[in-house]
Amino acid sequence: MEAQSVKPISSPVPEAWYPTLAVLMLAVGLIVTASFFIYEATISKKNRSLAKELSTGAVASVFLGFGSLFLLLASGVYV
Amino acid sequence: MESVGVSSRLCFILCVFFSAYFFAGVRSSSAELQILNAERRVDLSSHIIRVSLTLKVENIGTTPASELLLAFPPKQVDHLAWIQAAAVTGKRKKKTFLPLDVKPSTGPDGPNGTKHYSVTLVNKLGSGESVTLEVLYVLTHSLEPFPVEISQAESQLVYYHDSALVLSPYPIKSQETSFRTPTSRVESFTRLEPTDRSGTELKYGPYEDRPSYSFNPILLHFENNNPFAVVEELVREIEISHWGNLQVTEHYKLAHAGARQKGGFSRVDYQSRQHFGSSASFKHLLAELPLRVHSVYYRDDIGNISSSRLLIGSKKSELLIEPRYPLFGGWKATFVIGYGVPIQDFLFESADGARYLNYSFGCPFAETVVDKLTIKVVLPEGSEDPSVVVPFDVQQSLEKKHSYLDVVGRTVVVLEKRNVVPDHNTPFQVHYKFNPIFMLAEPLMLVSAFFFVFLATTVYLHMDLAIRKS
Repeated sequence: MEAQSVKPISSPVPEAWYPTLAVLMLAVGLIVTASFFIYEATISKKNRSLAKELSTGAVASVFLGFGSLFLLLASGVYV
Repeated sequence: MESVGVSSRLCFILCVFFSAYFFAGVRSSSAELQILNAERRVDLSSHIIRVSLTLKVENIGTTPASELLLAFPPKQVDHLAWIQAAAVTGKRKKKTFLPLDVKPSTGPDGPNGTKHYSVTLVNKLGSGESVTLEVLYVLTHSLEPFPVEISQAESQLVYYHDSALVLSPYPIKSQETSFRTPTSRVESFTRLEPTDRSGTELKYGPYEDRPSYSFNPILLHFENNNPFAVVEELVREIEISHWGNLQVTEHYKLAHAGARQKGGFSRVDYQSRQHFGSSASFKHLLAELPLRVHSVYYRDDIGNISSSRLLIGSKKSELLIEPRYPLFGGWKATFVIGYGVPIQDFLFESADGARYLNYSFGCPFAETVVDKLTIKVVLPEGSEDPSVVVPFDVQQSLEKKHSYLDVVGRTVVVLEKRNVVPDHNTPFQVHYKFNPIFMLAEPLMLVSAFFFVFLATTVYLHMDLAIRKS
C-alpha cells in the first residue's frame, strides 16, 4: 500500500453543500412545477403544446429528483 | 524417444527420493532442538489472560531446523484467541523484532492430546546455533469463578489452572514462570519448590533440566474484581455509500461472565459502596471510535439511552456508555451503537482502479471478549467481485440486502469469527469493483418517479372522460 498508488475516494459533491443544494434544487423544481400546472390550468386544451408540457415536466422532475436526493443525503439517509 | 522416457522416469524417481529425504530431514530436525532458557510471564490482571513467553532455542541436531513447535494443553487450545511470535535480535535496548508466521500444526498431537502450533523460522537455524523467540498468546474464558455465586458486596475470587512448567515438545534446560495477579489477595496456590510470592507476583522456578512434555498442574485461587465484560454476540454492519458516508451499526449482547449474583439487588447498598471499588460489577464501558465520527447514537429496544458521553479529541474519539443498570455476574444488556464516518478516511482506490474498504476488525470496547463476531460489509449497489483480506482465519459468505432506493439489492460480505479479543483490532480490507456511473441510479430513479407524475397529469388532462360530447 504505497501512498502514491492509493488515493482516497470521496463524494463527487462535497457533503457540506448537500443542504444548500437540496433547498435550491427543490425551490427551482417547485417553481417549474408551479409553472407546469399554471400552464395546464390556464391554456385551453386545443392551444396546449404537448412538447412544452413534457419539457416543462422533464425539467421539473430533474430538479425535484436531484433535490430530493440531496435532501435525503443532507438528512442522513445515505443511499 | 525411449531415452527421453527413461530419463524423465529417472528424474521423477530421484525427485521422490530427494523430497522424501528432505521431509524426513525436517521431521527429525524438529526433535533435535532444545530450549536453553524459557521465561513465561502470565498476566492474570483482567479476564483476558495475556501470556508472554521468551524462549532461547538451540539446535543440537545436525540438520538445520526451519520450524519450531509450541505445545498447548487441549483445554487451553479451545480458549486460545490470539497467538503471535517474533524472533528477537540484538541486546537489551537495541532489540529488534522480526514477526514470524504461526499456524496450527498439521503434525500428530503430542501425549495426552497436546496440540501443537508451528512457528516458521525466517532464517533456518543451523546446527549449534541458537535463536531467541518472543511468543505472545491470549486466553479467554480461562478464569473460573469460585465461589460460583457471590452476593452484591462480596469480592470475586477465581481459579486459574495452568502448569508450573512450560509445556514444550523439547527438553528445557532452565525455566521460570511468573503470574501477576490483579491484587495481592491470593487465597491459595499450588507449591512446587522453589515457589515464591511477593505482592501481586507469584513466581515458579527456576527449574533445571526438565524433559520434553513436562507438565505439572497448578491451581491459583485469587481475587479478580475486574469487569468480566463479554459480548456474547456482536453484529457490526458497515454500509458504504459513495455519496460520502460509511454508516456503522453495532448490535451488542453484553454479559457479565464473572461469578453469578446471589440474592436481590439493593440500589442503596450499591450507591453507598461505590467508592470502595470492591465489587466485581461494572457500570460503564469505554469504546474507541474513529477520529472523525459523527451522528453517534446509543439505544436499545426501549429507545435512546441518555447515559453516554462522546469525547472527540484531536487524536481519537472515545465513547463512554453506561447500560441502563450496573451489570452483575450473569446479567445481560442488549443495545445498539451506530455512527457515521466520512468515506475518504476508509475507502481507497488502488492503482488498478479497484476500490477497497480499509476498516478495523474487532470490537471497539476496551478489554472485552467477543464470543461471536459477525461483520457485514454492505457494498453499494452495482459492486462486483468482492474479495476480503483479513490477517487471520474467518468464515466468509455473501448475502443480499435491500435498502433505500435499491432495485437489485446490495451485495453484503459477511465475515464471522469466534473468540475475538482486542488484539484482533487490526485493519482488514474488502476489495470490490464499482463503476461510478451506478451512482446515478438513485437520482435517476427519483427523477423518473417525478416525471411519471407529470406524464400522468398531462395524459389525464388530455383525455376526454365526459360521456356526452361537449
